[in-house]
Amino acid sequence: MSTVILLLSLALGTYVVAVLEQWASTNRLRLAGPVISALRLLGQENILPRKSDRLFFEVGPVLLLIAALLSLAIIPLAPGLIATDLATGALFFNAALAYVLVAMIMAGWGPDGAYGMIGGWRFLGQLIAYAMLVVMPITTVAMRAESLSTIDIVTSQEMLWNIAYQPLGFALFVFAGMAMAFVPPFDLPVATGELAGGVEAEYTGARRIVFRLGRMVLILSVSSAIVVFYLGGWLGPWLPAWAWSMIKILSVAALMLLGGRMLPRIREATLLAWCWKLGIPLALANIFLVGILVLVVPL
Amino acid sequence: MAIELIVTLIMAAGLFGTGVYGALSQTNLVMIMMGIELILAAGLLNLVAFWRYLHPEAIEAQMFVLIVMTVMAVEMAVGFGVAIARFRSRGSVEMEEARELKG
Amino acid sequence: MSVQLVFLLAFGLAAVWFGIVVFRTHSMVRSALALLFSQTAIGAMFLVMQTEFLGVLQIMMMATEMSIMAIFMVMFMMDPGGLGEMDMKHQRKLSLGAGILAFAGATALALLADWGPIATEIPDAGEQVRLLGFELLGRSMLIFESAGLTILTAMIAATAMAVQAANRPEPAAPDRGPDRGKQHGH
Repeated sequence: MSTVILLLSLALGTYVVAVLEQWASTNRLRLAGPVISALRLLGQENILPRKSDRLFFEVGPVLLLIAALLSLAIIPLAPGLIATDLATGALFFNAALAYVLVAMIMAGWGPDGAYGMIGGWRFLGQLIAYAMLVVMPITTVAMRAESLSTIDIVTSQEMLWNIAYQPLGFALFVFAGMAMAFVPPFDLPVATGELAGGVEAEYTGARRIVFRLGRMVLILSVSSAIVVFYLGGWLGPWLPAWAWSMIKILSVAALMLLGGRMLPRIREATLLAWCWKLGIPLALANIFLVGILVLVVPL
Repeated sequence: MAIELIVTLIMAAGLFGTGVYGALSQTNLVMIMMGIELILAAGLLNLVAFWRYLHPEAIEAQMFVLIVMTVMAVEMAVGFGVAIARFRSRGSVEMEEARELKG
Repeated sequence: MSVQLVFLLAFGLAAVWFGIVVFRTHSMVRSALALLFSQTAIGAMFLVMQTEFLGVLQIMMMATEMSIMAIFMVMFMMDPGGLGEMDMKHQRKLSLGAGILAFAGATALALLADWGPIATEIPDAGEQVRLLGFELLGRSMLIFESAGLTILTAMIAATAMAVQAANRPEPAAPDRGPDRGKQHGH
């Protein structure tokens, strides 16, 4: 039963994220938009580039989708409504999303095209920028919950959500999460304006649908992680637990997509400089502060 | 019967042998590092197998695995540092051309 | 045949197979990613052996490590796509012999040694994480801290080796734009 609910909410969530993404990029809210796009892509010819690395070309988008789906496995929507409650859930989330990088490199290298390859390697640079800023805020969340399990992390926020308890960590995690899901302004690997689609450029037809789908699930997964780690997961008054989870996850996704559009795309070198010169010292300071807070005001 | 342990150890032996072959046969510095990574990975596998099947009460074994993972990362960082320096000065990281190290 | 044994065999054979692919393929990116999948299979074996924390850590660390390996391969190899079928091996017989000898020796040891009683009861995953945490910040704290220090030293050493010396002129490579960091690719 809970499997069916989880799958249905996954499908619904992905669809809504797809609608939101289209709204953010075209400024028109069309509920049937994703269906129309999918049908149009299905009608397109499946082009196979010349001299492509066929294996990587085929596996790349599928691996992206699988990695994003796996990272969703540790997200609890309500007490008991979780795919697998791992003892190392918070770490597993990272481990699964590290394979997004592998998928991007494969998909970028595979088709033997300059734009795709630059996009794929760009994401590697982007990962070096954001990786520490994902792990260090998760450390502080785990410090407060005294556990890596996502259910314990949610229940630890019963008194006060982590967004109020450690706002610095929240800011850093949202920043890093947006870079991880490569939503604008961090969409360096698929920069439509300057790289003609980057990693996506050589993909057409059904393969592109898989790629897009993977990306939507990735955005959904990152926003669920923000909700679980910082916004109290399913906690909330009046409404049932699953409703709170849904509302929070989708609004975080909407804010990420719509807010990110307002900002100019960041340069790779600037992103690296900001993350390493400013972000990591702040993340370390956050660990220090939360360490004191956990000892002094254990809420 | 220690069949699981023995199977794991044989798999680790296979990785070790492959790693030794790679580290000795390749001419490129980066490929040699790949061989060394395989050797270290075989070591990791042995450590975990020994912890799991022989001494699960000794949690220090997991600690040792963490240290070996650190060594892997450090080896890569320093190796790539050497590779960049060599590529800068000689324009290649082919080890056949690094005869001057023989003295 | 227990379920554990079947999974150990499957992932183990996958790890060894990908390990062999590393040195057989001509494409450098394929070679680096084959190593990644070999390491991932090892991480999966850790998971099968109920070492959840180490397994997830291995799977996570290797993804980034081997991707970085891949970009270095592309930067430093003459033929990264493997289309030129370049030969990059030397001392074939010696290395093949050494590899087979190492495998045979380790296998013989695994088969011949008396391993004694096999443990069946192990702490569950959450308990393991807790114990490991106490171990890291308790008795083994000094070792753990020196590992951290080693990483710091290695970072500084690698950076010091890799940065362009200030007083040395640029090597006579064609200038390809203002971004120095990206220049030494080809």
